[in-house]
Amino acid sequence: MVQQVISMIVLPVIALVIAVFFLGLSRKITARIHRRHGPPLYQPLIDVVKLLTQKENISHGTIFDLGIVLSVAGGLATILFIPAGGLHPLSSSGDFLVVLYLMLLSPLGLALAAGASENPNASIGVSRKFILALGYEVPFLLAALAVMVHFRTTSLVEIVSLQRESLLNWSVFTLPLPALATFLVLPAMLSIRPFDFAGAPQEVASGPLVELGGKYLAFAAIQGALHTYIVLAIFVDLYLGGGANILTFFLKMLAVFFIGVCINGVMPRFRVKQALIYLWKWPAIIAFAGLVIVMWTSR
Amino acid sequence: MDRADIAKTLKSPANWGQKYSLWAVYFCTGCGVIEIPPVITSRWDAERFGVLPMATPRQGNLFLITGYVSLKTMGAIIRTYDQMPDPKYVVGFGSCPVNGGMYWDSYNTIKHLDKYLPVDGWIAGCMPRPEAIFVAVVHLWQMIDKGMATGYQKYKENYEYYERNQREILPHLPKFSGERTEVVGQTL
Amino acid sequence: MSGQTAFTLILPIAFGSAAVVYLSGKISAALRNFLAVFFAAVPLVLLTALYGYTGKIVYYDLSFLNQSLILRIDAFAWYFASAVALIDFLAIVFSLRYMEDKKQLDFYYFAMLLVNAGMLGIVLSGDLLSFFMFWEIMSWITYLLISYKGGKAVAAALKYMIMSIMGSCAMLLALGSLYSTCGTFDISGVAEGMSSATPGYRLFILLLMIFSFGIKNAIVPVHVWLPDAHSEAVSPFSAVLSGVLVRMGIYGFLLVMFVLVRWNAVLELRILGLLDFHLVFCWIGAITIVVPTFIALLQDDAKRLLAWHGIGQGGYMVLGIGLGTSMGIAGGVFHTLNHATYIALLFMVVGAVEYRTNGVRDLNELGGLAKKMPITFIGGLTGILGLIGVPLTNGFVSKWLIYKSLVMNERPLLAFAALIGTWGTILSVFKFLHHIFLGQLPQKYNNVKEAPFSMRFSIITLSLVIFLFGIFPGLPLTVISAMLDSFGIIPLNPTLFGVPSTLGELNTITILAAVLAMMVIGYAVFAWARKARRTDQFDSYGAGAYVPVNRYQYSVRFYERAYEVIGPYIRDRIDEFYIWFVEKAEGFFDTARKIYTGNVNSSTAYIVFLLAVLVILKMWGRF
Repeated sequence: MVQQVISMIVLPVIALVIAVFFLGLSRKITARIHRRHGPPLYQPLIDVVKLLTQKENISHGTIFDLGIVLSVAGGLATILFIPAGGLHPLSSSGDFLVVLYLMLLSPLGLALAAGASENPNASIGVSRKFILALGYEVPFLLAALAVMVHFRTTSLVEIVSLQRESLLNWSVFTLPLPALATFLVLPAMLSIRPFDFAGAPQEVASGPLVELGGKYLAFAAIQGALHTYIVLAIFVDLYLGGGANILTFFLKMLAVFFIGVCINGVMPRFRVKQALIYLWKWPAIIAFAGLVIVMWTSR
Repeated sequence: MDRADIAKTLKSPANWGQKYSLWAVYFCTGCGVIEIPPVITSRWDAERFGVLPMATPRQGNLFLITGYVSLKTMGAIIRTYDQMPDPKYVVGFGSCPVNGGMYWDSYNTIKHLDKYLPVDGWIAGCMPRPEAIFVAVVHLWQMIDKGMATGYQKYKENYEYYERNQREILPHLPKFSGERTEVVGQTL
Repeated sequence: MSGQTAFTLILPIAFGSAAVVYLSGKISAALRNFLAVFFAAVPLVLLTALYGYTGKIVYYDLSFLNQSLILRIDAFAWYFASAVALIDFLAIVFSLRYMEDKKQLDFYYFAMLLVNAGMLGIVLSGDLLSFFMFWEIMSWITYLLISYKGGKAVAAALKYMIMSIMGSCAMLLALGSLYSTCGTFDISGVAEGMSSATPGYRLFILLLMIFSFGIKNAIVPVHVWLPDAHSEAVSPFSAVLSGVLVRMGIYGFLLVMFVLVRWNAVLELRILGLLDFHLVFCWIGAITIVVPTFIALLQDDAKRLLAWHGIGQGGYMVLGIGLGTSMGIAGGVFHTLNHATYIALLFMVVGAVEYRTNGVRDLNELGGLAKKMPITFIGGLTGILGLIGVPLTNGFVSKWLIYKSLVMNERPLLAFAALIGTWGTILSVFKFLHHIFLGQLPQKYNNVKEAPFSMRFSIITLSLVIFLFGIFPGLPLTVISAMLDSFGIIPLNPTLFGVPSTLGELNTITILAAVLAMMVIGYAVFAWARKARRTDQFDSYGAGAYVPVNRYQYSVRFYERAYEVIGPYIRDRIDEFYIWFVEKAEGFFDTARKIYTGNVNSSTAYIVFLLAVLVILKMWGRF
């Protein structure tokens, strides 16, 4: 009981630290790929401090305020349900299906705030974001269902513990096709290039973030960072065997994130229709094939 | 840079944030902007100073007025400046904002920018090289440290002065006339 | 009040009140409105007295058939009756202001109370003949209510009526067949008789009944009446129609699959010896989820969008019920109640917006109304959260039960259909909310006021119900568990906040605590930073230009790129097929009609020709 309370307090803090660190790390690695020095690793911290201490904040109403607060609150609440290398305070109250739908609160909050911005750039950004989500959910759900049916459970804690014994038990080796499909759509889930058109500065003036400044932008940045953490945590839990402790969990997330940043650093941006067709074509076919194999072998 | 100076940071975290995270509004006001892409790309990496281009004024706190300012652009500049949240810094980039520069005798450019907007610093040149921008940024940091970068406060305190000057050159601006229009893209 | 008295009173009051309200309308409108609300509340009160009561009443003897007409109540009937009474009461309260400038209001309130009475009669009937009688009363009054506004509504109502009559004929055929096989109309008697029937006969009865109830419930391929009917009916009746009236089909499915033909008998049935019957039923449900939900994405009329969602969510109920496990059936049945609450809420929200903007329901014309109608916006937001199935709403619990049972029973393709249906729902209902309430407010709606009190009352009540059942799902799930027990299926035994840990991990109070705690922390940090200054919609980013009035809303073709990819495939081809078929049939009948030329000569020729044929046949020795 005491351990649960401690992990309830510690886990969001650790997640925030990891998330903000990943933001800075991505900027540094991208800079090095571009053969320049780049900002220091703690640059996102400077940005957030600047935004939160700004002398004037501009709001478009109550929905604008509450939407932004909900986007961060939703992200933090979801983190409590995802096992992070031994820390999973509330996973007995919510399994993977609960996590899949709690994950919706955070983008929904940002979408409400964007709608309340009264700006068509924000609305275009939100529509692009939702179309992207529709795109990656098809292969992601097929692959996730393959994992759930293979392990005959919907609990992330059980999925992690069933991959515990040896390296070869990791789903990336026992269920290669679903893992490959999810890896192919991982950039879309993280909203990094080539799938970052939802918040493109050049095309839609930052999309949902167009009217966000000051503390609102700080919250939106934290929301983005938490979303990255959540997606990477789910990927590591489903396919890379979770983590025996928080350190191995973090190292696995770092490995996946590094590959993602490398892809982000060299790719241009897809058009929306290109992205949708890509996501529904090969990743979906591979995930479906993986699901069919799982259904066949489990009979 | 004294970014990593923890004692100084703890004394005023707001100053630390303002200095090392100057986000420039990517509004290309005039021909001087040709020097900005080299500054923000790999060779003269501005990101290591914390300077990033931002798409909208809500997200920006540095406004570089690059190059000459025509009358029509002045309307957009005023609108953009009004939409930026405090604290905000304006830097005149090039000779044209200082005293009209190459277009000192033109009928539709602004000769003295600081009659219409509070300017915190000037960079002379036509065009200034990218290194000059970095000198300006470092100079701005020192001004922020000493509390001298108070253009936005001057704007609020002396608003009648600035408004009178703005109204003189742009009387039909919807900000003054209060008219609202259905035309898309109207700046004046 | 004892259960027996309440049970005896409920139907007579329901039917009698319709007549009383009609007559009182001749005296005064205020009296009629008051009596309508009062008599809509009475069954609700009586039903609270009937919680947990089971009983039977014989109310008429058909001595020439040796049959009696019976009413019965148990957990199954009580659950549906409460849903019907609640939604009807709130719809009548809503109509007080919504309908005030329409004509023939006496008839309207009479019809609303009569449809309420008819539905209560359907769920409370204990024998199949009363069931059929109340079913017909409900169907015919629905026709009159759908066509209430006149104009296009009459065509929509006609489409509904033709399909409903086809369903009723199938039901009558099945009833007659059951009477001749089992010798009785009484439901328990028929159940006994069916237990000794052959599988072929059971399949026959099931198919007829499922055809009939499927038309009412609008499953693919007999869903085509629903979009027109829902969009053309008046909004309070649309709420009732999509909330509880089409779910009488679900009641019928449960009745025929779990009470008349018991579930273990259904599990053995196979179609053509190859496919399991209940799996085919599940797949019909899955297709009903996916295709209509994506068609809803393309709609620009607010009510049509909601109507397509009505069809889609019915697929979840069919999927849950067809699966047959206790969690699956509980999920499907719970979804019936949940869907009633949020679709009624959303139709009422559209009704409130229509009322205040003088009849506008085209999504591309509206925008930014959240500033003017905040309570309606909160109702709309709660409704879409429930429809999507966000945790802490009742929709999430019922969908969670369905997903979990599909995954645990190793049906991943059906689970995928259910999950992707949710994503289609997310896209289309966000568009619904955004186009009406978010974005730039057009200047012509600057004087729009908040919805009047009677409308707000219904909207707020339903929003509270959505969250109440989302945080305390044990309350309705206990009743459903008793229902499962009466069907002979393992009961669910839920806890107040979820399901027991042996079945799965769901504990809604912890989810609520986590979200609230994080909101508090987030808001504390937010409030600690400098307080924001409020700007209006004309101080928005416009790339240095001033915001154009009435032209700064992105709503037309909101999901343009998705339309380009899926648009060609998502058309209601079944509707097009039916229309083509009707046109061909009309052509055929038009040609066939020409036999009757009205000319005496050709009639005489026909008679002579027929006599000649008969003479030849006689000579040939054929008869």
